[in-house]
Amino acid sequence: MRIAAHGFEVDVPRGWDGEIYRRPGGLKPLGGPAEHTGAVVHLGNFPLPNSRGDYGSGAVEVMGPDGIFLSLFEFGPGSVGKALFRAEGLPTVTPEDFAPHTMQRPLPGQSGAQYFFSMRGRPFCLYVALGTHARRRQLVPEINQVLGSVSLSDT
Amino acid sequence: MTALLIVEGVAILLLAVLVVGLLRSHAEILRALHELGVRPDGDESQSASALRPRPRLGTEAPADIAGTTPAGSTVHIGVTGTDSRTLLAFLSTGCSSCLPLWESLQSEDPVTGLADTRLVVVTKGPEAESPSRLQQLAPRDATVVQATAAWDSYGVPVTPYFVLVEGATGDIVGEGSASTWAQVGSLILQATGDRDVGASGGELRADHELRRAGIGPGHPTLYPGNSSPERDEK
Repeated sequence: MRIAAHGFEVDVPRGWDGEIYRRPGGLKPLGGPAEHTGAVVHLGNFPLPNSRGDYGSGAVEVMGPDGIFLSLFEFGPGSVGKALFRAEGLPTVTPEDFAPHTMQRPLPGQSGAQYFFSMRGRPFCLYVALGTHARRRQLVPEINQVLGSVSLSDT
Repeated sequence: MTALLIVEGVAILLLAVLVVGLLRSHAEILRALHELGVRPDGDESQSASALRPRPRLGTEAPADIAGTTPAGSTVHIGVTGTDSRTLLAFLSTGCSSCLPLWESLQSEDPVTGLADTRLVVVTKGPEAESPSRLQQLAPRDATVVQATAAWDSYGVPVTPYFVLVEGATGDIVGEGSASTWAQVGSLILQATGDRDVGASGGELRADHELRRAGIGPGHPTLYPGNSSPERDEK
């Protein structure tokens, strides 16, 4: 089923949870412009808890051994053009990219991978967490299939 | 005088037809409500016992749900193709029978104690619900989705309405209306209990029939290609 918001469109596979949201802004400075808050896309092949962080804290803890969690996180305009985001377009994930220490908070058996890139001039981080590091070769094709359905428009 | 009597007679006849039509319509409404498990007399004890799981096993695949949250996010909830069961609670902000259910959700999780069961509250879309009322009623910790299409795809006949879906098979284990979470819990236990009994009963019947035919554990006919467990071990 395809969901769309904030310029993103993604095909969420059957049985997966997905959410597209914009991070709440802070207080608007007096006389200044409203704070720009980026869009965030969360996808998981397990029920995503309501309370979770932008990088999946609260969700990865309840992920099963075959669990996959994806976070596509947009950075603010201050990051546009920075060297970190020089790569263009969504990356293709490979099993070699995953390492247990790449988790935001290392959890036994799990592993993660992180990519920085730009799409349509917008800076992003893709963070992927796996329920079992040893199952990364089986899980990576599924991840790339989902990522292949993601599109971003200018809106 | 005769003409007046004829007119009066016709009027009485028309009124009689009208009354019969109204009574018939009333009876049909009562029958429909009864089939849905709703008791017009408002007796909760009878209402609870009238709740029955209405399995729709294998008839049509229930759908995952896509919609928006009260906070404005766009979401997709996986209902089928998962390892867990999902209890879909179809509630509305404008339905007076739903109010106690909304209020109880603020302080209790109705699926606590039910293994691998996830609660998803489904309201109609923003075009049919009050956004401010929904923000007041929707608990922070509950999954609430606004999705009018889900009401159509699950064929929700009344509000409130509950559907329990087995994620692994995509079967609707049970469905019905209830006015309290206790009744919903009873509905779930009955639906899952009936299903478990049915499953184990089926296995027992199969074992019984095999035994009657002289076929027990390890019988060669159970292992096509003569690869019985004993042979595999050698």
